[in-house]
Amino acid sequence: MSKPKKEIKGGNVSSGKWGYLFILPFFIAYTFCTLIPQLMTFYNSLFMNYRDGLTQVGPKFVGLQNYITLFTPDNSGSIGILKYFGNTIVLWLMGAVPQIVIAMLLAVFFTSYRLNIKGQQFFKTVIYMPNLIMASAFSMLFFTLFSPVGPVNQVLLASGWADKAIDFLNIKVSVRLLISLMNFLMWFGNTTILLMAGIQGIDQSLFEAAQIDGANSWQIFFKVTMPLLSPILVYTVITAMIGGLQMFDVPQILTNGRGMPNRSSMTMVMYLNNYLTTSKNYGMAGAVSVVLFIISAVLSLVVYSSLSKQYKEPKRHRKY
Amino acid sequence: MKKRLTVLATAMAVVTALTACGGSQPAATTAAPAETTAAAATEAPATTEAPAAETAAAAEESSEGKVFNIYAWNEEFKGFFEKYYTVPEGVTVNWIITPSDNGAYQQKLDEALLNQANAADDEKVDMFLAEADYILKYAGSDATQDVTALGVNDFSNTYKYTVQAASDNNGVVKGVSFQCCPSALIYRRSIAQDVLGVSEPDEVQAKLDSWDKFNAVAKDAKDKGYYMTASFAETYRVFSNNCTMPWVDADNNLQFDPQIEAWIAQTEDFINNDYTLTAGVWDDEKNKQMFADGKTMCFFGPAWYFNFCMGNAQDPEKGCSGDWAICEGPAAHFWGGTWLMAPAGTDNPTMLADIMNTFINDEEVCSALVANEAQFSNNQKVNAKFAEDESYGNEFLGGQNDVAVFSEMTDNIVWENHTIYDQLLNEGLQNQLQEYFKGSVDKDTALKNFYNYINETYPAINTP
Repeated sequence: MSKPKKEIKGGNVSSGKWGYLFILPFFIAYTFCTLIPQLMTFYNSLFMNYRDGLTQVGPKFVGLQNYITLFTPDNSGSIGILKYFGNTIVLWLMGAVPQIVIAMLLAVFFTSYRLNIKGQQFFKTVIYMPNLIMASAFSMLFFTLFSPVGPVNQVLLASGWADKAIDFLNIKVSVRLLISLMNFLMWFGNTTILLMAGIQGIDQSLFEAAQIDGANSWQIFFKVTMPLLSPILVYTVITAMIGGLQMFDVPQILTNGRGMPNRSSMTMVMYLNNYLTTSKNYGMAGAVSVVLFIISAVLSLVVYSSLSKQYKEPKRHRKY
Repeated sequence: MKKRLTVLATAMAVVTALTACGGSQPAATTAAPAETTAAAATEAPATTEAPAAETAAAAEESSEGKVFNIYAWNEEFKGFFEKYYTVPEGVTVNWIITPSDNGAYQQKLDEALLNQANAADDEKVDMFLAEADYILKYAGSDATQDVTALGVNDFSNTYKYTVQAASDNNGVVKGVSFQCCPSALIYRRSIAQDVLGVSEPDEVQAKLDSWDKFNAVAKDAKDKGYYMTASFAETYRVFSNNCTMPWVDADNNLQFDPQIEAWIAQTEDFINNDYTLTAGVWDDEKNKQMFADGKTMCFFGPAWYFNFCMGNAQDPEKGCSGDWAICEGPAAHFWGGTWLMAPAGTDNPTMLADIMNTFINDEEVCSALVANEAQFSNNQKVNAKFAEDESYGNEFLGGQNDVAVFSEMTDNIVWENHTIYDQLLNEGLQNQLQEYFKGSVDKDTALKNFYNYINETYPAINTP
């Protein structure tokens, strides 16, 4: 493509230069809006810096003291940040696994020329709809629905299935289920559409060829669709994971920031937020952010390398 | 060459558009001056957030600001202000309302006050409201100023504790309260009749004037199928207000007052025996008990509680207005109250002083607050007038003269043992212990979570 262009212009300028210019805005925006704040966060995490009433305390350089505090067990022997990290992972897995499985299923159904589902546009709109609602409105809705005097309890009581109102928001399992359900409902449509785009990008003749060779639906899915879809799948899983690690709005609103019961639905970012609200404790909040960043980076690498393995392997075989 | 320049220009435009974050948007802010100034005179527009529209057009003689910003956490005072205060011509009143839950109001206010010196005149905080739980934080700081210097000098009729609360360590008064908030036992007459055999305030008081009697009656109420209270934290203020030491000692170590321990012990007993519900003080589950078909005998609160927070009881269809009465209950206490505070650096000092004087010393306004709004005003003379008035009675309380009851109780209110941390410590303790009372954690875990909460919220406090 580039050669004929050059000839038309007749100049001696390499058009590759323009490419750099066009990607420059991203790098500038990245530097100012992501890289510098990230470095500042790390810098801030080395200071004692908070507000006591209206009085500012610090900033005073304390080295790694904030990190030490973060990983020091309390008097019952548990380390807060590890617990909240565990909560985050559990909440994410409970929502993300069904989300990806169902999204994959729907994407395969919608793109299958054999099923040829009618009214696709309608279904796509409907499954995407929950994503358009603000997370806070959505969790407020669930909060009201499942409150001790809410409609769900009224139905349970009226129908005789329960003889006492069930306090859904104070039971570990139900709180976690509600959070995962909400995240699932909000995101499975988005994932479906991404995966559909991925599947539609696969050459249809491959499916037909597989069919002519006598492959059944399972075989086509696992031997043709999955391997060719894996770049998109890796992208989906990694973005879902980063989103999951940053889970905040749904549990924050549903539990009014308390992560009840026993802080079992408190996520990493809710924990971070606790340091920022009243005390404006930039030191500790910075330390939590840095830990969260390291965890995200490591997990992304793990997911990336493990999921993209199957995708790379055929290439290697060809080489040797 | 020309083409190249165009491309370059486009690229630069994109770059600046993407990186110009944090810049102001000059076009948007100057948009709506005309209408706001016109509507400004008497009825303040109900803006919550919108920054003051530039009122340059109306800039006339007066040297004071044309925009008066009031920070508040609910609409209670706003209603009275709009009804009883005449805003000087040409001044726009902005209400910036943030709910107080989880300290959100304090956060919003802190940012504004700390930025006060740099803020444009029309953006400055001109008055803010504060509650008993955190008034100390503001009264004791340089963010507020001496109201006597502004022209609010007459405290002869206000209740002493309301002045103490708004003063700093040196006795400099930084604000005034428009209400006095002795808190009463608010009970259902019909349920009291059933449980105690009496329903008149004096007789009920005699049967509930100590914690021992109160706890014993709780059992009788249960036996008759009633709840004594509707929230595990219903009696919290009655205990906490009688604490003999503040939440933190001189070295900022957290300390539990015996009164707090007593509250925990009582609540354990009430929960175990089903004398109360596990709902929080503000929960729907509790509020539902205020309907006519509710099964709860006792609530606790000051005048603002039954006229502002007991909407369910006043509901024309499902409520039970008139079936209520008040008495002092097991212990004297007060709860909350709204102080009008004078921020340093306001550009409307005259109007600010005028508002304060109106709500504490203007007898007409104070009388209207009592007569029309069922408030217990912060003007002893006005309150005495109503207390002695045989014809005055509160319909909601079945014609009882609540002003007379509250007037007697004010003698017992003391202002001591407060800290700047009170709101979130009171709120946090209740929230964490609620999980214990609901049975989802044991007491030690609940307290551990309370300490964790403190470490995050107030790093300066040392926890066990």
